[in-house]
Amino acid sequence: MNTRRIGRGTVEGHGWPSLHPPNELLGVSRSLARGVPMLLVLGLLVGCYSDSSSRATGATSSTAARRANGAASEWFVDRAIESDLKFTYFNGMSGGLYYPEMLPGGVALLDYDNDGDLDVFFVQGQMLGEGKTLDDATIRPASLPLKGRLFRNDLVVNADGTRTLHFTDVTEQSGIDTHEYGMGVAAADFNNDGCVDLYVTNLGRNQLFRNNCDGTFTDVSRQSGTDIAGWSVSAAFVDYDRDGWLDLYVGNYVVWDIRSDQKCTGLTGRRDYCTPAVYSPQRDRLFHNNGNGTFTDVTATALPGGPFGPTLGVATADFDNDGWIDLYVANDGRDNVLWMNQRNGTFKNMGLLSGVAVGADGKPKGSMGVDAGDFDNDGAEDLITTQLPSEGINLYRNVGSGLFEDESAASGLGPMTLGYTGFGTAWFDFDNDGWLDLLVANGAIEAIKERGEERFPYGEPKLLFRNLRNGRFENVTPKAGSLFQLLEVSRGAAFGDIDNDGDVDVVISNIHAPARLLINSVGNRNHWVGLRLVGASARSRPTREAGAGSVTGRDMVGARVEVIRKNAPTLWRRSRSDGSYGSANDPRVLVGLGDATDPPMARVHWPDGDVEEWPAVAIDRWTVLRQGKRMAR
Amino acid sequence: MEPSVRDQLRARYAALVGQIEHGDVADADLGAAYGELGKLLMAASYFDAAEACYLNAGRLAPADMRWPYYLGHLYKAKGPLAKSVVAFEKAHHLRPNDVAILVWLGDAYLTQGRSGAAEPLFNQALGLEPNSAAAHFGAGRVALAKKDYPGAVTHLEKALALDPRATATHYQLGMAYRARGDFPRAEAQLARKGTIEPRPIDPLMRALDELLESAEAYNVRGGRELEAGNWASATDDFRKGLALKPSDPSLRHRLGTALYQMGDAAGAIEQFREVIRTSPEFAKAQFSLGVVMEAAGRHEEAIESFSNAVKHDTGYIQARLQLARVLVRTGRPLKGLAEYQQVLARDPAMKEAVFGRAMALVRLQRYRDARDRLGDALKSYPGDPAFSHALARLLAAAPDAQVRDGAQAKALIDELLKTERSFDVGATEAMALAELGEYEQAAAVQRDVIAAAEHAGLRNVVRHLTDNLKLYERRRPCRTPFTDDELP
Repeated sequence: MNTRRIGRGTVEGHGWPSLHPPNELLGVSRSLARGVPMLLVLGLLVGCYSDSSSRATGATSSTAARRANGAASEWFVDRAIESDLKFTYFNGMSGGLYYPEMLPGGVALLDYDNDGDLDVFFVQGQMLGEGKTLDDATIRPASLPLKGRLFRNDLVVNADGTRTLHFTDVTEQSGIDTHEYGMGVAAADFNNDGCVDLYVTNLGRNQLFRNNCDGTFTDVSRQSGTDIAGWSVSAAFVDYDRDGWLDLYVGNYVVWDIRSDQKCTGLTGRRDYCTPAVYSPQRDRLFHNNGNGTFTDVTATALPGGPFGPTLGVATADFDNDGWIDLYVANDGRDNVLWMNQRNGTFKNMGLLSGVAVGADGKPKGSMGVDAGDFDNDGAEDLITTQLPSEGINLYRNVGSGLFEDESAASGLGPMTLGYTGFGTAWFDFDNDGWLDLLVANGAIEAIKERGEERFPYGEPKLLFRNLRNGRFENVTPKAGSLFQLLEVSRGAAFGDIDNDGDVDVVISNIHAPARLLINSVGNRNHWVGLRLVGASARSRPTREAGAGSVTGRDMVGARVEVIRKNAPTLWRRSRSDGSYGSANDPRVLVGLGDATDPPMARVHWPDGDVEEWPAVAIDRWTVLRQGKRMAR
Repeated sequence: MEPSVRDQLRARYAALVGQIEHGDVADADLGAAYGELGKLLMAASYFDAAEACYLNAGRLAPADMRWPYYLGHLYKAKGPLAKSVVAFEKAHHLRPNDVAILVWLGDAYLTQGRSGAAEPLFNQALGLEPNSAAAHFGAGRVALAKKDYPGAVTHLEKALALDPRATATHYQLGMAYRARGDFPRAEAQLARKGTIEPRPIDPLMRALDELLESAEAYNVRGGRELEAGNWASATDDFRKGLALKPSDPSLRHRLGTALYQMGDAAGAIEQFREVIRTSPEFAKAQFSLGVVMEAAGRHEEAIESFSNAVKHDTGYIQARLQLARVLVRTGRPLKGLAEYQQVLARDPAMKEAVFGRAMALVRLQRYRDARDRLGDALKSYPGDPAFSHALARLLAAAPDAQVRDGAQAKALIDELLKTERSFDVGATEAMALAELGEYEQAAAVQRDVIAAAEHAGLRNVVRHLTDNLKLYERRRPCRTPFTDDELP
């Protein structure tokens, strides 16, 4: 989305077939003879469609959906419908091609009721356009009311170890009342009471919902000082000053309202969605947590002078290994920004010199999703950004001290993702072999012409890549599950162990298609350790934890853990809920061990600088590691 | 679809059908008909349809390099890259010494991470065309990938020398310097990076690029010329686009911009006014008209234009900023201040607005507020010369005694003098010295500054500096921190 229409990926809803009636075209095709493969000719004449082997465009949604109902050999199976996790994002489109329609929405995994399993929150859209009502909608909403929805996970672990997943929509009793056009969500315990809170980013005013620790939430947007107006997408809770309170980075996109909406056209003159270049970027905001339920906007002093671009993705990690959390901001069509923490409450942008601002060709990309993780197991946090079809995704390998090398080509990820429009993504070890893999949720932002007859011709398949442990990746999408072939407009993706069975599952939010609950059926064939990194807090209340009894305290997002194995390299992982696209991940840390059965040592580097060790952590179960409860190193 | 595009497609399609129905057409000719249709479809971004056409063309005319070549570019744009490589390889096989094919195939190999395969292609291209910036650029990237950093620097510097407008080269060069540990040079190159890559001479792709006749296609082409500073070509493209779609506000606005760049202010105004007449909501035209009016000293019209821009687009920060600036400059600082406040409400860290607000406060003689705002700004932008200089002026010469602090002014200016030795800074140093009672030294500094200004022929500056010198010679401090000309 970073350029004006430049001759690629533009839109024709009624393309070639509308020039001539099909029967006339077929009449011509019958007259062809010499040397021209008939299938190709027919393809050309009835829609100019060639062989489709290059892209998984052959499966229709319905047939693929039928196939998606669970072949045993599939690595991921969609369990959304059968578990009553029913949600469809409604983007409010009515033919006006309003820019925001293409970019929502996010999803959060959070244990809001502290019962030890992950619940799900989806943001929801509204009608867009002055005076527009649902009667004007191009595609009717799947359900009403149009509010963000909270689903409680009523997971049952059966006696034989199998899981029964069921979700209950508890939005009404939760008190969560969203009233804007939802874009994304961040989840973390901002007030250190042991209960995870929600920050919903909007087109409109953002909302902060404080968890009352009794199954309900209170809207504290205004009193907290975080209810900025405009257009925010991704946000991240991060303790940047190591004071024990989670601060908040809010990524803002562009300055847009319905009156300033621009009309853009493709190369052939057909209307299409605009690009961010048409609008002015809206500055991001950094809010410092005052520890009393309020935040102070410290953007001007902490991020002096910018730069700020149209932000879509945010990831936080300690990129230079100095013990202080840094911020990486993915911008759409402008240089990405790497805010290096200066350890004094301020940050300095090192994006360009670090090598993570642009692609290997020196050009800014249409960066959307983002994640930080140590894919090469060298102890340094690497970065991935998902982008436009003509760009592929970018992999930046951290070579230490905060300098990165662009490995998009060498890893194979760049070439393999050309032709896809990437949004939600994460580093996650889906097969628990100890190496981080990658999933990308895709969906076009410019109509796919050959599907111009569809009301919403933007669907793309999802992608799964396996880490080959040598810096390269393999596209394993064909084995991932037939659901990956569905052509959907996917945006937010949240990653976490939803059924607590020791492997990472995924929830994906789609525009005008049901959300997907991708249950991982292969990860726990290998061994693993599951760690919840918890800080002590006088204010926090006891909660239940899967397989771990009663615990208190909040998830220490930003904490890093070294998993020290016998006869194998140390693995570095991090507790985080940020990354992906407008979404919030499971803050727990799940580390794959392959076929190793020895309990590893865990050395935790807490966000405040403390380091503690746990000599032997039980494998194949979830364990809580509480700050201050083990030997300091 | 625009009628012009539809007509183009119909004509090409009819030509193909005519060939097919003719019966005794040679395969090569029929292939060419498919290929030509493919080109048009590709230009219109019907990639899948174009792909089928090129495949047909390639089978009918296997010796014609054009079809695999275009197919290579098509797959490069839409993926998969592997097919792009195969197609370029085929084209290369058909025409082994074509520099454009060598460069594009090498580029595709690089994108695949195959620098070893790319290297001989760029070397061959350089053998054929030693002054090809694109080939040097490719060879430099190969060297970078192979960690041959001196080699990368050599090739990339050569590429830049051959094609200085290809600003993307600065990035690669910066990375090469970084890898050598030369961070100052790396940062200097990175600061100059842009998005224009050196390209090989490529008549085939140029033909395709110029094929589509639609308003937006001309808009894109004109925009490219505009970016490259080719005003006349840009104007030409925008006019052609407007001939197809006279109501297109973007095209007309850009035509106005190109005309203004060519020095035709009247022509620009005419175009901007026409956009405003037909598309009043197109705030960019209001803004541009305001800029032109302001440059011509037509302040009231500029104010009107900027006001209209923010009326139609309340979030148009640049327009509001300009409005604030003109209001302050034309004696309406209170109104200007209000506009600055609105900008800062949306964007509290915007440097231009923070500075503008402080200067508006100076105009309003609210020196304390101005000092406080500049002090706050320095916390956000430590060491920023604009803020520290303005604050030093206020501390040295504000009429309000509670604002003045000669010692702090001197400290600020001493710091500033380490990096900047301009007339302005010299004059401020003299003000600070005078405020501290060191009149002889103030006068000495002022005389030096005057001599330098006289040497530079800056008569207006000299006049003002001389007024202050007289004060210092009479052992009196300055109480005019900024002249009217100095205030923004």
